[in-house]
Amino acid sequence: MTVIALAGNPNCGKTTLFNGLTGSRQHVGNWAGVTVERRSGCFQGPDGPVEVVDLPGTYSLSARSEDERIAAGFVAGAGVDVIVNVLDAANLERNLYLTAQLLELGRPMVFVLNMMDDAEKKGLRLELLRLEALLGGPVVATVGNREEGLQALRDAILRAAAGGAPTRGIAYGEALERELRAIERELHRDERLAQAERPRWLALNLLEGSPAAAARVARSHASRAIGAQVQASLASLESQLDGDGATLLAERRYGFAHGLVAEVLQGPAQPPVDATARLDAILTHRWLGIPIFIAVMIAVYTLTFVLGKVPQEWLNGACNLLRDWAGSRLPQGELSSLLVDGIIPGVGAVVVFMPVIMLLMGSIAFLEDTGYMARAAFIMDRPMHLMGLHGRSFMPLVMGTGCNVPAVQATRTIESRTDRFITILVTPLVSCSARLQIYILIAGTFFRPVQAAFAILAMHFLGFALAMAVGRLLRSTLFRGEHAPFVMELPPYRLPVLKSTLRHMWDKGSVFLTRAGTTILAGATLVWFLSHYPGIANRSWSEELHRETAAVRTLGLAEAEQASRLDDLALAHRSRVLNTSLAAGLGKRLQPALAPILDPDGRRPEAWKDSIALTAGFVAKEIVVSTMAVIHQARPETPDAPGGLGAALLDRSGLTPLTALAFMVFTLIYTPCLGTVGMILKETRSVLWTGFSLVYGLGLAWLMAWLTVLGGQAMGFA
Amino acid sequence: MSHDQAKPLSSLHPGDEAMVCQVLAKGRIRQRLLEMGFIRGAHLKVEKLAPLGDPMELVIKGYHLSLRREESECILVSEED
Repeated sequence: MTVIALAGNPNCGKTTLFNGLTGSRQHVGNWAGVTVERRSGCFQGPDGPVEVVDLPGTYSLSARSEDERIAAGFVAGAGVDVIVNVLDAANLERNLYLTAQLLELGRPMVFVLNMMDDAEKKGLRLELLRLEALLGGPVVATVGNREEGLQALRDAILRAAAGGAPTRGIAYGEALERELRAIERELHRDERLAQAERPRWLALNLLEGSPAAAARVARSHASRAIGAQVQASLASLESQLDGDGATLLAERRYGFAHGLVAEVLQGPAQPPVDATARLDAILTHRWLGIPIFIAVMIAVYTLTFVLGKVPQEWLNGACNLLRDWAGSRLPQGELSSLLVDGIIPGVGAVVVFMPVIMLLMGSIAFLEDTGYMARAAFIMDRPMHLMGLHGRSFMPLVMGTGCNVPAVQATRTIESRTDRFITILVTPLVSCSARLQIYILIAGTFFRPVQAAFAILAMHFLGFALAMAVGRLLRSTLFRGEHAPFVMELPPYRLPVLKSTLRHMWDKGSVFLTRAGTTILAGATLVWFLSHYPGIANRSWSEELHRETAAVRTLGLAEAEQASRLDDLALAHRSRVLNTSLAAGLGKRLQPALAPILDPDGRRPEAWKDSIALTAGFVAKEIVVSTMAVIHQARPETPDAPGGLGAALLDRSGLTPLTALAFMVFTLIYTPCLGTVGMILKETRSVLWTGFSLVYGLGLAWLMAWLTVLGGQAMGFA
Repeated sequence: MSHDQAKPLSSLHPGDEAMVCQVLAKGRIRQRLLEMGFIRGAHLKVEKLAPLGDPMELVIKGYHLSLRREESECILVSEED
């Protein structure tokens, strides 16, 4: 099958063009071993399908970042038949830098001048035929977001695949060419090396000082001779041209780009004040910039978590209906419990994230496509940088207050791996709305109203403060020396294509279901097992429940009275199963470890029960609340029996205001919920880092809860 | 205009125009800056600073770019009037 690589700068409209070329026939995955998205699709040619691979948008092929390594590796590899280089017609000179590198690869190329409408609006006129002659390959003009020129592009690709001439590299000038030839000669000493990669391309990378190229040469038996020649060439160039290899090559490439633009482009010397300049005068204004940014954040938050709540509740309701239906139809037992208490809520825990994920990812894609996301990063970079993060980390952290799961996914917009990983690792510290339910219960029960509000607010501040501290700490320890430059393009504002945004939403949602969904479901089933066994399999207990239920039924009580008695019996049974479960055993065993924070005075024999709730809360933090209700056999609150869970906690949990606060601190920080863990695993593709986020969460939670207890005791609280 | 008057890009103010003399950064940052157009003789114009004072927005090679102070400190430019 013919394989086409789509290469180009970020913001050149490559992805829209890719969507237009391939229609719905595409596949989204990951490049082997890394977290960079790999999109490929097909279109039908006369001799069968043509595969189009959308490379990550890069400014160069120098392989210094993850994206560049992938793009360079793929495009220079043997599997590519035609390289399609997408260029932003309105920003030709910078775009041609990458072209100067692609021309070196010796493959048939097709050049696409995309966004021709923007260029025309700027008053630019391009001589396509002249450009074709200078580049040595067909040039096609397109307007990707209006699908103009797509057929011409397909035709050009097919012609190039059938027999396009390979491109020739640019001329670097006499001195550089001489040194390149000298290095090439040394490279030919190792035939395997010279065959694996174009010697000239490798020579260019060596002169540029690429660590990846140096590493490839280091494995060769001729490495010494090659290295010596590179050093000699660099010294000779330095004395002749007064510059190091990287500088000289960049200068020549820009010289080529500049010369080309001068020959083919006519337009006003001073670009007119365009819509982008007018918008930026407001959107990144000294005083208006931040208020507008805050308004945008509030809008996205509202759309995601307030409007998103509606479909979320439908899904939740549907799951509960399914659960009740299954519960009433199936005979009581282990299998039905697996289904009713394990799998159905587990699936529920996965699908409820879909609305928020799709809405947040859709909003981000929309803002990204308009060009505003880059401005948001520009505005927020200063405070984020102080935290050891990137301007683009702000969005995930703020959205984390709604739900950590889509927030972790939102880190995709952060270009550098280091910045992205640090943001992923600190996002779970941001207190989400699920944890709020726990605070409301605990604080509402153990504190006076004003204190309670203060305690809840304090949790949110503590979350952010810890995210900041951990971010800085990670930056200066585990991620030291990986500093990525903050050199960010502020692309022109553009109107997004609705179809692209919708496709993006759908992709993100479905990838979440298939990748993170399985992790979450497996985890939910495991937690079900831990919190139901061995009690659920105890025959005599279930027979006892049956007997007692039958006994109550024979008493001939009033309907309401009977229902209440039956509920009590069922609750007592569930409580018994839970309190003797593996999770409970684990809690008892962990008792000594948790004692300093949950039972500092040694007067709280019930402390081990908290760890059952915390184990269950691993599935989703709000489950802590419902689990505590079962543990402490709290009856649902009714008008004639007030109190409910709060009263049961005061009565039976043994928590004091101080240990209650420690419990809140612990739930804030301890391991991210399963949904978040699934998402972290999907986004980092690293079991190690996912494990790290679990372990440091637990450790930090213990430490902070312990400090809370110590501080409280020092201040005279009990 | 000569190299003696070269000063770091970070010392420029919004509205100032300048020519790139030298990129002092090393390694990956240097490579990135070169690729983005910071080559000797390239013309640039400082557009504005972010509301909180950092990063800086500038126009180079006909497009808009933002740089942190950390990066703009290691680019030497000579100012044009």
